Parts: sequence; structure tokens; C-alpha cells
Amino acid sequence: MTLSTFLAHQWHSFWRARNANKSLALQIILGIFYLLIFIEIAGLGILLPYLIKESMPGKDPIVLFCSYIIYYFLVGLLARFQLQELPSLSIQPYLTQNIKRSSMLHFLNVRSLVHVINVLPFFVFIPFSIVVILPAYGAVATICFLISMFALVFNNHFLNMYIKRKSVDNSWWFFAVVAAIAILKGADYFKLISFEKSSADIFIGLLHQPLFCIIPLAIAIITFVLNNNYLRSHLYIEELVSERKLTISKSYSLLDRYGDIGEMISLDLKLIFRNKRPKSLVILSGVILLYGFMFYPKYLQTGNYTMLFLFALIITGLFISNYGQFLFAWQSSHFDGMMSYNINMKQYIKAKFLLFVTVCSLQFLIASFYGFMGWQIIPIQIAAFLYSIGVNSFVTIYAATYNYKYLNLSKSASLNFQGIGALQWLQSLLISFGPVLVFFLLNKFIGFWTAIISISSLGIIGLAFNRKIINWLAEQFNIRKHKILEGFRER
Amino acid sequence: MISIKNLQKSYKGVKAVDIDTLEIHAGEVIGLVGNNGAGKTTFFRLLLDLIRASGGEIFSKGNLVTASEDWKSYTAAYIDEGFLIDYLTPEEYFYFVGKLNQLSKADVDDFLQTYQAFFDDAILKKGKYIRDFSKGNQFKIGIIAALLTNPELLILDEPFANLDPTTQLRLVDMIKQMAADKRMCIIVSSHDINHVSEVSSRILLMEKGKIIKDIAGGEAAYDEMVEYFKVK
Repeated sequence: MTLSTFLAHQWHSFWRARNANKSLALQIILGIFYLLIFIEIAGLGILLPYLIKESMPGKDPIVLFCSYIIYYFLVGLLARFQLQELPSLSIQPYLTQNIKRSSMLHFLNVRSLVHVINVLPFFVFIPFSIVVILPAYGAVATICFLISMFALVFNNHFLNMYIKRKSVDNSWWFFAVVAAIAILKGADYFKLISFEKSSADIFIGLLHQPLFCIIPLAIAIITFVLNNNYLRSHLYIEELVSERKLTISKSYSLLDRYGDIGEMISLDLKLIFRNKRPKSLVILSGVILLYGFMFYPKYLQTGNYTMLFLFALIITGLFISNYGQFLFAWQSSHFDGMMSYNINMKQYIKAKFLLFVTVCSLQFLIASFYGFMGWQIIPIQIAAFLYSIGVNSFVTIYAATYNYKYLNLSKSASLNFQGIGALQWLQSLLISFGPVLVFFLLNKFIGFWTAIISISSLGIIGLAFNRKIINWLAEQFNIRKHKILEGFRER
Repeated sequence: MISIKNLQKSYKGVKAVDIDTLEIHAGEVIGLVGNNGAGKTTFFRLLLDLIRASGGEIFSKGNLVTASEDWKSYTAAYIDEGFLIDYLTPEEYFYFVGKLNQLSKADVDDFLQTYQAFFDDAILKKGKYIRDFSKGNQFKIGIIAALLTNPELLILDEPFANLDPTTQLRLVDMIKQMAADKRMCIIVSSHDINHVSEVSSRILLMEKGKIIKDIAGGEAAYDEMVEYFKVK
């Protein structure tokens, strides 16, 4: 069993995944999307020195670049916590085969390296080094500089893996590292130490004394060996994947009073808080609430109400589109059950709608504090809120009846396109830009209040006819029920 | 209870289920047997309206299962893990299913009390989510949740396959008792011809989607099945 066989199996598992080949168009769109990102980042690497020269004349681009390297790697490490998963489970079928442990270790290490986050840095470092460092410091220094950068990427990669594996044993490892980074950043903020200065000193020094690149290289090797040794002694499935915590059973007793519908809403809440992927989506919706601080002041100043409306729509309605695009798919692993329990479809749809209303109202209430920034925020957010619950919620439920793809709840959400079809992309575009366009036109040609009142009325009309719409949605759902069930059964 | 007319389900031209007429009555325990691919699970899914039939009709108490949702109030089923909400604890799951059938928490607790032996102390108050239980215990949870609603029609797909011997024997007794006491209509599929001939009052033998034998349960049925399944 060689490494190439392992990798070939991984290749098959990627392309033969049930959902992978289904929509070629989506694959191509995603491919183009990734390609564009790569080109942009490579372009950034080349253009960086010119950008620096133009925006900050008098500063040496190399010094400026070097002063941010430490910062970059620390942020990179945090990003890796989020984005990179341990590729442990993929070895499960091999553990009982006649394969040497060392080749399995080898596979785990190599397999983990295949990740966007390991490829991206090179698109910045290589062009930058060739364009800027090569003319100034010569070939040897450039090569050594690149070796150090590669070593540090490598080090970050295995450090992340090591910390993650350690946190499987003891989750305090993770918090300790995050806390350490936070303290360093704090010290930097209060000018006790300076990331920028030390970073510049170290890496400019490196350019003058290229042979010191053996230090980062040594650090990377040490991390690799640490990680490897840890893996070697823990090559058991139960030790590689995180142990599930004991249940802290929360009951939403308030919801008990609302009968079957309350029961179903509390089921959705449990789904959200007990599974990785929906939980991270909801946390994201919470973080988005902070967008107001970043964007509102700017657009308030320029009086750009359309942009204010766009952000109000995102802030109050993100949960609906985020959670709603997989509305039924979240339950795909037990949808056979959901469809044979004693649940009336109208109630089922109604419960989903009420969940949207509840969470959206919560977001709206919190976001109302932005009213202190300027009174215009209040009517704009009311319009966005009413539109979200009165129109978007129904559109989202309708679109969800076309989502036939199984979803794994335990996979992390970032960069995870499982279960997303072309329709969902279209839907997110429509939901965010449709009303914004209407608002823009009305605001521009008639007036601010007309725009506000029109958008709000659309929402109110939707709410007023909610019973009719829900009944219609239940019919639509029943038409496609078997197709949804069939899709969800294909894992 | 159940009445079937010209029921057909085909996948890519191959008929997975093809039943001309079939009547199932309250109080009957139907044992559905047949080798893999005979169409047992497909038949169950059709009964529960989880897949769309290619042709024909299923009436449950006179109503088309595809048209009315009434059957849900008196039907319970456990086919596979797809019926379990795996991020709930067993208790939460039982309360959930109970609530949908107008049972209070106290009702559910009483019910669970009577089935303590069945659980063998391995399921309740363990502080674990269903997804963290072993396959066999998940199966127990699913079966108990199906019984909990006190259904008139109970559908179990290969209930003996994933249970330990003690629980298998216990389940045999439970099925017989429920059919007799409550006139429950129970449909079980199984590969265990021993158990199935013991619990069933009527045995349906499926082959390539068709019901080729419709015989009374008991010793004679066992012999007939041995004859059929014997390696030729």
C-alpha cells in the first residue's frame, strides 16, 4: 500500500461523492470562482510593492512587508483553527488492513497538506520575492527568504494540526493558544511590544544574513516531528476524533406551551445548538450584527440610504437566508422519520416560518440600538425587518422545497459547499438584491419615505396573508416531498 | 386496515414492488420474508408514503395514503436510523414523539417504566445523544418510540437483525401480546425464519417484488420457508 494508492482513493472519494458530479455547471462556476481568487491573490503579490509606493510614499516596501509577517502567521494560525479539519476519519477503513503504520502516518501528513490555505501564501510570497527582493538583495537571499516563508507555512500547518489533536485530549489546549495570541496582540496594542518592529527586524535581518533561514526550517521540522510522534502513538480512531461532550440537556420549557408547533421549533433550536455546522452559521449571523458599526456611519454620512438598506437587510435577515437555504436539508438524516411522525405538513411549514420570525425579531431588536447613530436607521431597519419576515421567509421556504441534497450536520461550515445547488446561489442573490434594487429606484425617483413604506407594505401584505401562503407552501412541499426524500436518502 | 390495488414501483424499468391485490386486517401479524432485493423495504416505504408509487393505490382505513395524512395519527414505524433524530437524547426523543401524539411527559414516563427490562439499563438517563449509542441500542430506541404512540398499525423492518438474543426473544413476546391484547396490526420483515414463523399469524413471501406465497404462520410455515430458502 503506497502513498499514491491512498491519494488515488481520496481522489475517487472526492469525485465519486454523491453530490459532486450532479451539477457540472455549479462545479464550473465554483472552479472559475476559485481561479479568480488565485489570480487576484497572485496579482496582489505582484502589485503590492507598487501599491505601497503609491499609497505610502517614502516607505520601503520590503520593510513594510516584513513588518507584517509575524502578524500574518498569527492570524493565519487562527484562521486555520476554523478552516482546517483533521483528516483522521479517512483512515478508518485502512486501520485493519495489512498496512504499515508508518505509511498511514505518511498519508495523514501528506493528505492534510492538500488545502487551499497552504497554497494561497505562495501566490503572494513568490511574486513579491521575485519582483521586489530579488533586485534588491540578490538570488541567495531571495531563495533563503522563500525557504523561510515555506518553512513557516509548513510550521503553521503542523502546529495547527498538533494543537487540534492535543485539544481532542483536552480542549483547554485550544483556549490556551487563542489566549496566548490574544495576550500578544494586547501587548502590541498597548505598545509593550511591537509586532511590526520585531517582525521587520527579524526578517530584514534574515535578508542580510540569509543562512539564518535554517532557524525557521528547524522550527518547522520540530513541529512536524512533534505532530508525527503524537500521531504515531495515538493511531486509534477514538483518539483521533474529538470526544463528544456529555449532554447538557437544555429544555425550552417556554415553548412547551405552544403545542406541536412549539415542540417543532424547540427541535430546530436543539438542532442548531447541538450540531457543528448550523451552530457556526448562527454564530456568523450574530457576528454580522456588528456590521452596523463598520458600515452604518459611513453611509449615514454620505446619505446613501440604499446601502444602509442593504446592510439593514443583511443584519436583520441573514439568519433566514443562511439557515433557510437548507431548511429541510438540516433534517435530511432523519427526514424519513419526520415524514412519518404524526405531523401535519401545514403545521410543519408554519413552525419553520415562526422560527424565522422569532430569530429575525431578536436580531431586529438588538440591531435597533443602531438607532443612536441616526434616526434614519430606525425606519430603514423596520422596512428591512418587515420585508425579511413577510417576504424573504416565504421565498426561502419555497426555494428550500427545491433543495434535494443531503447535508452532514457534523462537518464544519466554512468553505463547505455540500448541499448547495445552483438554485441556492440564485436565491441568495435574489433575496439580497431584489428588494435593494426596488428600494434604490423608489428612493431615487420618488423619495425616501415612499421607498420605506413600499418595502414595509410588501412585508405586511405577506404577513397578513401568512395562512394562505403557508397552505400554498405546504401544497408545494407535498408535490416535491418524494423527490426531497429520495434526495436526502442518497448520502 | 390496509388494502392494496395494483401497487407497482419500478426503478429504471425493473419492478421492485409489484402487488396485484392485498388485504391486511386489524389484529393480524404479518411476517414479510424474502431475500435481499425482494422489495420488502421498498414496500414499507410505499406504505408510509415515503416514495411515490409508479402505479396503483394503497388505502389505509379506506383513505389513500398519498392523499390524506390521517394515517399518520395511528401508524408507527421503524425502518432504519433515518427515523431517529440523532442529536436528541433518548428521553427527549420519546417526549417529542409522545407530544406529537398528545402524550404528556408523565404518560411517556409511565410507558417507559413498563419497558425498563427491554432497555436493560443501557439507554435511559445516560446523558448521551442518540447518535452516540451503538446500533443495537439505537434500534431499541426506535422500536420503543414506535410502540410509544400505541399505534393501530405498526411497521418494523428487520427488527430482530440488530438486537441481542435476549431482546429478540422479548420482542417476539411483545409482538404476540400486542396483537392479541390491542388488536394491533403489525407488519414485520425478517430474515430470521424461526422468529418470524413464531410471531406471525400470516406470512407473505416476496420474490422480485411479487408476493409469491401467502400462508398462515406457525410450524407448517416454517417448514415451507425452509423448503423455499434451501440452497438448490
